Amino acid sequence: MNTAREDILNALRGRVRRSESPPAPWQSRQHFDDPIARFADTLTSLYGEVIRATNADDALNRLGNVLTNLGATRVAVNDEPPLAGVDLAARWPDITWHIVGRTEGDLKSFCADADAGVTGAIAALAETGSIVVSSGPGRSRLVSLLPPVHIALVPVSCLTTDLLTWAAARAGEWPANVVAITGPSRTADIEQTTALGMHGPKRVIAILYGE
Amino acid sequence: MNEVSFHNFRVSAAQAIANAHLQSAIDGATLKFRNGRRAMLADLPDVEAMRDHFKAMRSATLAHLTDYLEQFECNARAAGAQVHWARDAAEAQQIVIGIARQHGAQLAVKAKSMTTEEIHLNAALAEAGITSVETDLGEWIVQLAAEAPAHIVVPALHKTRQQVAELFSREVGKPLSADDIPTLTAEARRALREKFLAAQIGISGANLGVAETGSIVLVTNEGNGRMVSSVPPVHVAVMGIEKLCPTWDDAAVWLELLARSSTGQPLSVYTTVLTGPARPDDPDGPRELHIVLYDGGRSRLIGTSYEEVLQCIRCGACLNHCPVYQEAGGHAYGHAYSGPIGAVLVPLLLGLEQYEALPHASSLCGACLEVCPARIDLPRMLLDLRAEEVTHGIIAPPEQAIEKSAAWLLRHRRLFNLLTDLGRVFQRPLVRHGGLWLPRRLNPAQERQLPSLAPRSFHDLWEELAAEEAAPAPVARRRLPSRRTTVTLAGLSLLPLALLWRLLRRKGGKRR
Ligand code: SF4
Repeated sequence: MNTAREDILNALRGRVRRSESPPAPWQSRQHFDDPIARFADTLTSLYGEVIRATNADDALNRLGNVLTNLGATRVAVNDEPPLAGVDLAARWPDITWHIVGRTEGDLKSFCADADAGVTGAIAALAETGSIVVSSGPGRSRLVSLLPPVHIALVPVSCLTTDLLTWAAARAGEWPANVVAITGPSRTADIEQTTALGMHGPKRVIAILYGE
Repeated sequence: MNEVSFHNFRVSAAQAIANAHLQSAIDGATLKFRNGRRAMLADLPDVEAMRDHFKAMRSATLAHLTDYLEQFECNARAAGAQVHWARDAAEAQQIVIGIARQHGAQLAVKAKSMTTEEIHLNAALAEAGITSVETDLGEWIVQLAAEAPAHIVVPALHKTRQQVAELFSREVGKPLSADDIPTLTAEARRALREKFLAAQIGISGANLGVAETGSIVLVTNEGNGRMVSSVPPVHVAVMGIEKLCPTWDDAAVWLELLARSSTGQPLSVYTTVLTGPARPDDPDGPRELHIVLYDGGRSRLIGTSYEEVLQCIRCGACLNHCPVYQEAGGHAYGHAYSGPIGAVLVPLLLGLEQYEALPHASSLCGACLEVCPARIDLPRMLLDLRAEEVTHGIIAPPEQAIEKSAAWLLRHRRLFNLLTDLGRVFQRPLVRHGGLWLPRRLNPAQERQLPSLAPRSFHDLWEELAAEEAAPAPVARRRLPSRRTTVTLAGLSLLPLALLWRLLRRKGGKRR
């Protein structure tokens, strides 16, 4: 007896149309005179928040303000730029930090009742107001997912026009998990009424730093 | 078994039409999506050309599907995923159950997925003693109510907040108020969060797969796709074999069109790309990723005139623009795939005989074709399916006989005149305000009337006019009707009789 794989592929093989070739890659792109403004406007219109910072240092100051305003006492943080190497505990002694890959203890349960999760970003998309995060050493999937607030420190240098441009320019292997985050988790499943924070964070705050 | 007969469709459509809450919910949701779609697509440059490009890409992918499937499998394996193949629903169920058992899983969390609806995975898991919890809020509501989804994007469209509050109260064991939707949502978050943290396996579909990297992409707004693929130690994704694209360029175009066409968002909140399970140096994520490539009748359609239906990306735009869906609601279609796409796809995958009414659930207005991101010609396929019902004898012999005699009758003018004259007399008890009302038994919703036969036929009147014209000094020249026009007009006037017969026959319900 044939395996399912053979059966399916054999059924298809007789039907291949060799003459039909795929179209050339799609070239047309949006153009934004001010990609930063487009990113900020779009993310804000999708219930996200954007804070502008001049440089990485300023971004950390602003992060401190956000955490103070939240009254955050437990914060999970990915060990990635621009946070890697910063002595968080010395800078914010009132907060219990879980630094991914460095702090002992169960990351999942810490994230499940943390007040906020802080990450960097591997890209940001101006068109759609998206923040792209990835898994990898020191990069947890849960930090940007389980806590009620996600704060992303996004360098302007990683801002790209759109998904098309970013996907075309991206090189090398894909990490196991890459997520384009476009605003806070939301649902409209009960009577079409928007409610934030269904499974993921209720608030997404992008601190956009650099020129 | 006749799943969606004409009678069944009519009865549940009539119920939907009588349900005021449902009607306003459908109107509200579809209007919002239609407006959102229009605004969001307008934001893209060259969007019409982009849709053409997308269609060409989808078509070329299906033309070489074996190559892309093999490439996808090879790259997914290289990334550490385990790839399985399933010919039919039973095989797909067994694969998922097998993986769950292997890990001793008793609790599974499920992200929203139409493909797993299609294979009835929840029922199969339950039978195998595995509890499977839907985690998309709408799907969870529908699961708690033990119902089917009413829309492919908003499954619980038909539920009022009071009904939701009742269902949730029962589930969490304390009374919840219907007044406050954010609180209801927060309760659901809490209840489902527990499930996510406790589950041993996460199950999802896949919106698309990318052959060049062996990645799958999950798109959700709530984050259930992220949760099931990040929190439990094992993740199983069931993907239809047609959901592939060759490259990341193609995937990006797909994603640019998907959320815009669907909910009127630039991108869904979470676009999750999964390439293999967690790497050894990842701090978290599933140790195993299983991808089940599911055929379920799709391979049969490749190379046929119905292949185009496999270009569908399940955006739901055709539902939101369909006048029949908007009145009849999703449940009348008798399957999780409803609306125009369901009306074509379901008979093709599961059998035209069982779903004979679906190709008729359309006014053929063409709105679905106009809005489909892949420009799938659903109206053409609806017509082809109707034609197949005739050629394959799915239309019952009496109706075939009647239609043949009608054709014959139209060629015999005098007999035709005689019968319509008789009709004028016998229709009298049924005519009200100029319309022909069928008795309630035949017309359950009493929402339709047929045109009654006019006191005098057009043919009669025409002869009179022609006679006048032949009289001296006509004011204006009138053209005489061609033979073809006469036959067409006669045919039209016979239509009510044919329809009457059809209704009478359907009333009987089962046949053969
Ligand atoms: S047929 Fe077209 S419009 Fe309808 S769900 Fe599929 S892709 Fe969307």
